[in-house]
Amino acid sequence: MSIARMPSRADLETMGTYEIALCLGVVAPLLMFVVLAFFGHRIGKPVSGWAAVGGVLVSLGCASYVLVGWLSSPDQAALSLTHGYEWVVLNIAGADMPIEFKVKLDGLTVMMYFMVTLVSTCIFVFSIGYMAGHSDEVDGQCKFHRFFCYLSLFEFSMLGLLISSSIFFLFIFWELVGLCSYLLIGFYFDKKFASNAAMKAFITNRVGDFGFLLGLMLVFVFLKTFDLDQAAETFRAQYADGSGIFDASISILGWQVSGMGLATLMGIGLFCGAMGKSAQFPLHVWLPDAMAGPTPVSALIHAATMVAAGVYLVARIFRLLTPDAQFFIAVIGCITLTITALIAIVQVDIKKVLAYSTLSQLGYMIFGMGVGAWPAALFHLITHAFFKAMMFLGSGQVIEGCHHVQDMRRMGGLRKKMPVTCWTFFIGVLAIAGFGIPGTHYGLGGFFSKDEVLAVAYERSFNWENRFASHADDGGHGDDHAAESLDERKSRTGLMSGRVVLASGESDGAGHGSKEAGDSHAAGGSHHDDPVLAGIALQQRVIPKWMFWLPIIIAYVTPFYMMRCWWMTFMGKPRDEDVYHHAHESRLMYVPLIVLAVGTVFASYFMFRPVLGETAVIATSAPLVVAVDGAAAADAQPELLGLSHDKDRDPHRAMIGYVGFAWVVGMGLAILIYRQGLELAERIRRLPGVRFIHMCLMEKLFFDYVYDTVLVGGTKWVLAQIARAIDTYIIDGIANLLGRGTVRLAEFSGNIVDAGGVDGLVDAIAETTQGVSDVVRQPQTGRIRNYVLFGTTGAALVLAAIIAVVMS
Amino acid sequence: MFEIGLTHYLVVATVLFVMGIFVMITKRNAIGILIGVEMVLNGANINLVAFNRYNGLGTIDGQMVSLFVIVLAAAEAALAVAICMNFYKNLNTVDVDRADALSG
Repeated sequence: MSIARMPSRADLETMGTYEIALCLGVVAPLLMFVVLAFFGHRIGKPVSGWAAVGGVLVSLGCASYVLVGWLSSPDQAALSLTHGYEWVVLNIAGADMPIEFKVKLDGLTVMMYFMVTLVSTCIFVFSIGYMAGHSDEVDGQCKFHRFFCYLSLFEFSMLGLLISSSIFFLFIFWELVGLCSYLLIGFYFDKKFASNAAMKAFITNRVGDFGFLLGLMLVFVFLKTFDLDQAAETFRAQYADGSGIFDASISILGWQVSGMGLATLMGIGLFCGAMGKSAQFPLHVWLPDAMAGPTPVSALIHAATMVAAGVYLVARIFRLLTPDAQFFIAVIGCITLTITALIAIVQVDIKKVLAYSTLSQLGYMIFGMGVGAWPAALFHLITHAFFKAMMFLGSGQVIEGCHHVQDMRRMGGLRKKMPVTCWTFFIGVLAIAGFGIPGTHYGLGGFFSKDEVLAVAYERSFNWENRFASHADDGGHGDDHAAESLDERKSRTGLMSGRVVLASGESDGAGHGSKEAGDSHAAGGSHHDDPVLAGIALQQRVIPKWMFWLPIIIAYVTPFYMMRCWWMTFMGKPRDEDVYHHAHESRLMYVPLIVLAVGTVFASYFMFRPVLGETAVIATSAPLVVAVDGAAAADAQPELLGLSHDKDRDPHRAMIGYVGFAWVVGMGLAILIYRQGLELAERIRRLPGVRFIHMCLMEKLFFDYVYDTVLVGGTKWVLAQIARAIDTYIIDGIANLLGRGTVRLAEFSGNIVDAGGVDGLVDAIAETTQGVSDVVRQPQTGRIRNYVLFGTTGAALVLAAIIAVVMS
Repeated sequence: MFEIGLTHYLVVATVLFVMGIFVMITKRNAIGILIGVEMVLNGANINLVAFNRYNGLGTIDGQMVSLFVIVLAAAEAALAVAICMNFYKNLNTVDVDRADALSG
């Protein structure tokens, strides 16, 4: 039972200025999509591109307005909408369950919204130059406007995803961005590999989204709401009194799941969606193939925004994740970042290197989420969006300049032909490599964000046990700790993000994050009395050592492969005179590169050392803050980001020994190997042990092969069996049945109706006639004497009869 | 001695009639059959004349009809002989049993 309702004027009136601005920013690209879809072919080549840019500029304007307003507002929480527009009211078991559309207005949304619109604007402008030479006609129709049409639809969907407060609407927009991704990967649909890549991306995402749907069902069934905040509140409340999902039990394929396991399953189910979109192992295979799309699409959708939506989703559902689910996420992220970085080393296609490096960085974000480095992971997301978009646009510039050559072995020395591209790309390489001066706060993107992720991983691997022990000792003191000073808290934990986990699990809603919440909850005694509580803490407090060391090793690999990519493309001597000769740079296309380069440099400072306010923007929406009252929030946030001014707790100082000089080592090694061209690399490749590893990596560790054989082949086999069964038993059966029926009918009609009825009647008449005539013709002898005899005899008989009658 | 009455005539007529019939039935010769027909007709003539003589009311109707019959018999004999001639011409015989083309 449901009643859908159109939004009314009253709904609009309850909205604040910022919500309206955000909605306007979402609607503007949608409007451009509609215009381009219907009139694009009439508008023509350059203008339709500029129209799309106009749409996204409106979004950027709205985003800037909201960002500035948000940062300058003294009471940010008051800006949020209290109630949303009820779209549908479901009536289940007598209770009304509204599905609301509500604009999510918090630091994360504002920041992401701004990032997406800014990056999009740059990429839209870039696309006008790029697509002019890359949109050949198909069937006599220019595809130029179609590209911007799709791009506008994507922009709408992505921004819609960001402002959705309800996980239900988030899912709708989630699917929409998936659709746009499909359309844009398959933009060159007349080419077989592009349409295949599009299908691969869509189907792989479908696998993930299936899990997402299952998670969504569990949320709906047990938490009875789709609103993210309400769901988190309910989840925590249910954990506190062991009701709802923690009291439930369901059977899946004969496997009983209940309580904590069910909650974990819900979290993992929701995370499956992120696995698909963010291309995490084992669903990572679609992203490298997605490079078949136009390069601006790779930059916007498959590097900066859509693939990051998976990380955004995890951030939003973070409070619904149990420790086990978080651990699962961390493991997946760790595997992804490792294998994809290794594959990136051997790629020779410039876009493929970037694709694998994107996968690896997404792995870092997901890993960060998994270990509880909530703000650090999002921080990495935003810095990564800037520099990766920039590098993709740079690669687009190179591909455009070299006339569609993507093989780095044919490039080299391009710095002279395209200096702007070369040096903006170099900034991107530095940013992803984690360039910075160790021990200071001067550096680019990855320097801060990756360090923070790793620092949290370090805490979780090495220090968590000790901290838990001290925590447990404090437990018995009960109420004393509720009044513990903020300073004390701050000093104890420089990495509060790691403890958010506890906050979401333990807090009874009034506590301040982890420890205090746990203590006040267990006011009547030590919380050791609660086995489940102790269990949850024990399970999540330590992560295995390898999950710390793998990301550390990959932090050395990342600068290597990025530097290798840059050096092979731009430095050294030209290896292909023809390509080098044609190389050129387009003016319209390098303006966005510069804007993004500036963004890359300043994004990290904006995030890390906020220039427009005292607090970092994203932190205000971190899960912990929900449990913290207004006064405490301001103090809690710097801790949350790992931004403590306490030197001992500074994640960068903590990580100096591990990755402080990783960028020097990795980039140095790359320069050493590729300085003289490709000969040295070739010699290394021929070494006995290396050759096999190289082969494995070139084959992308056989994932595609295995999937193709097992999944595609298996599916085909199963389908073939089903088809054969249908053919044999149903189709053939029907045909045979019809055949037999016809024969039977013919037999009946021929043998019985025809032979017996029709022929029989005719025969009977004939036979009767024959019989009668046989009898009748006996006297007709033709002999006159007989006739005389018959005639006289007859006359005599008649006479005798008359006489007999008369006489009697 | 008895007086010759109607019955005697009728007996003679009957004998003649039946002999005629018998001849017609048994004879295969067409001319023989013609003779039989004449005998039947004459048997009938005797009846006509006899009934007119004994039961007549002073009329000579019976004799008149007898004369008609004789005339007709003459005509019939002429025709019959012509038929016989043609019969013979076609079948080279006057055996009526050979003429069974009307057999059913």
